Amino acid sequence: MERRQFLKTAGAAAALSTLAKPALAQSGTTVRWWYHFDNPQNSPAELVAKFEKENPGIKIQAEAIPWGGGNDYQTRLFAAIVAGNAPDCAMVRLSWAARFQQMRALEPLDAMVNAWDGRSDIAFNIWKINRGADGKQYYLPLQYVVIYLYYRADLFQQANLQPPKTFEEFRAAAKALTKGDVAGFGMRGGAGGFDNWGPFVLGGGASFDKGGMVSEKAIAACRWYVNLMREDKVTPASAPTDSFRQIVDAFKAGRTAMAIHHVGSAAEVIGALGDKVSAVAVPQGADGKGWTYFGDESNAIFAASKVKDTAFKWISFLSTADNNIELNKLTGQLPITTSGQAKWTGHPKRFVEASSASIPIAASLPDHPKTPDFISRVWPTNMQRALLGEISPDDMMKAIEQHFHG
Amino acid sequence: MSAAALTSVPVAHPQRADWTPVWFLLPAVFVTAAVVLFPVAQTVWLSLYDYVIYNPDGSRFVGWGNFVAVLRDEVFWISLRHSIVWIVGVVGLQFLLGLVAALLLNESFWWRGLARSLVIVPWALPSVIIGLMWTWMYDFNVGVLNDMLLRLGVIATPIAWLARPDTALGAIMLALVWQGFPFFAVTLLAGLQTIPADLYEAAEIDGASRWKRFINVTLPSISDVIATALLLRTIWVANSLDVILVMTGGGPGYATHTLPLYAFQRAYSGMEFGYGAALALVLTVLLLAVVWLYVKRASRDIAR
Repeated sequence: MERRQFLKTAGAAAALSTLAKPALAQSGTTVRWWYHFDNPQNSPAELVAKFEKENPGIKIQAEAIPWGGGNDYQTRLFAAIVAGNAPDCAMVRLSWAARFQQMRALEPLDAMVNAWDGRSDIAFNIWKINRGADGKQYYLPLQYVVIYLYYRADLFQQANLQPPKTFEEFRAAAKALTKGDVAGFGMRGGAGGFDNWGPFVLGGGASFDKGGMVSEKAIAACRWYVNLMREDKVTPASAPTDSFRQIVDAFKAGRTAMAIHHVGSAAEVIGALGDKVSAVAVPQGADGKGWTYFGDESNAIFAASKVKDTAFKWISFLSTADNNIELNKLTGQLPITTSGQAKWTGHPKRFVEASSASIPIAASLPDHPKTPDFISRVWPTNMQRALLGEISPDDMMKAIEQHFHG
Repeated sequence: MSAAALTSVPVAHPQRADWTPVWFLLPAVFVTAAVVLFPVAQTVWLSLYDYVIYNPDGSRFVGWGNFVAVLRDEVFWISLRHSIVWIVGVVGLQFLLGLVAALLLNESFWWRGLARSLVIVPWALPSVIIGLMWTWMYDFNVGVLNDMLLRLGVIATPIAWLARPDTALGAIMLALVWQGFPFFAVTLLAGLQTIPADLYEAAEIDGASRWKRFINVTLPSISDVIATALLLRTIWVANSLDVILVMTGGGPGYATHTLPLYAFQRAYSGMEFGYGAALALVLTVLLLAVVWLYVKRASRDIAR
């Protein structure tokens, strides 16, 4: 192409593209949505297509964001908000709420939720858990999991043991099942392991209130938990750095008899162990108190979005009965709607029942700006040091207390 | 045309010629300023503020406050100590292994072409893959390393390589040595191929042994390549954190914390961008000595 001709063509193309812009803008609204699925090969394309067909003129730009144990997703989202390039809506977690609120980054959804037909299909207690500290509704619930206890039913039967209901039954079972290269409990001391520690230490009397981590009860509970490894030796030696992948694989390989996780890993565990595996709610203290982690996932709309009403159409579509079931098939978690839970066949009944049985003691972590840092840095570092004997469990609890309350 | 007009021509020409390289360089300078200098300036600015990303309104100027806090931070000193062990150990072992590999690949054998291709494989793999691969090799329950050592009778029970403070850093260093030695192998091999065969022939006629030929001919001939490769690799290794992040996340405890990892954790986990920037700048200043050596060497090469 001659230079002059090239310049003419380029100029014409540029002019045409400028003219074309208003036409494109008028043709519809685009909603940018950030999401992550544990299995990155799963795609929400079918849900997007269904929504776009039902809502002509609206285009959903679904962007998969790497999870990276939560850190990658979270950092990108906060950085995008600061940079003024946040999506219109995104999947979010309760533990990030305080930070969002501090940044005034979220749009209250109360008016939109009140006018939404699907509202009554989500249980009141779920709305309550998801409510913001100021009483406003910033999160639209999407899915949930509750941490429970996986156990090897066959090994328990051989040892003539019942699934543990209390801490001491748990400890006794772990000791009885620790034989040869099998450890009684696949403890998670690495990333995300606060959900293994919580049932025993928060359930044993610790709390996130001021002074709640350094009370006598709290410290005794932490000593008890750390001693599962240090004195009782019922955990694999790799426990200090074991994370999700390691505890699940060790359990699947028959190297541990009990592990703590949620229904998200049920398919994988059944694939390896079939009927040899079952689940119950996590053990509770002698006083009947217990704690387990309510693993939430909601959608939120960001205050800077220019298409808030349209974004709500999309996120409410995802939280509506059958669409919510389809979404949970992709995420491996549990439907948030009452109607969806009744129809749910995505997991064997025993795991769904173990999840339901855990709800009465399920709670989220504190709505505090320092909670994410507790999860990703403060807890693992101090837990690992305590498990290795570098610091005492008492010092670990003091460090957590200091993190939240100075 | 007057004589005066004729004499003015040679004066105008060099002036126009002087500006030409500037115009050619300008786009590169602009891009460098945008992608390197601006972020550096921004980091310096951030390091003087108590800037937490989720609380931008609460940002306040603290001057040297972050740097004073860094020097009082126990984890900084632990990370610095590990960084020194990390750099010296990894770069030293990568160099030795790379040199041996380069010398072998410089020999003549029938599958040399294949060997030269294969040696590149670790270098070509992404760091995250390397981290995951070695994590599974070291795995306590299902790892191939424990399995082999158990079968050979070297150990009686599996070792939790990445969960023990006395083995974790060494285990990660080994993974990075494996990943990075091809850089030295290829670079030094290129250097070895520039040595004239006459030098070896002359040394052989003079009765020099194989070892003496290596010390007196090979090493001096590739000393420039060695120095440049060592300096470059030191800078890269000092800044690398991806493999540590994947394999242990800095744990157990602080056992595998290095300076860039610690800065990353404070910035991306705690979202304390001001403190993270201060930590990164301290690392940068420490590395400036190495950079200075590199620049000095590069300037000397240009001057030749």
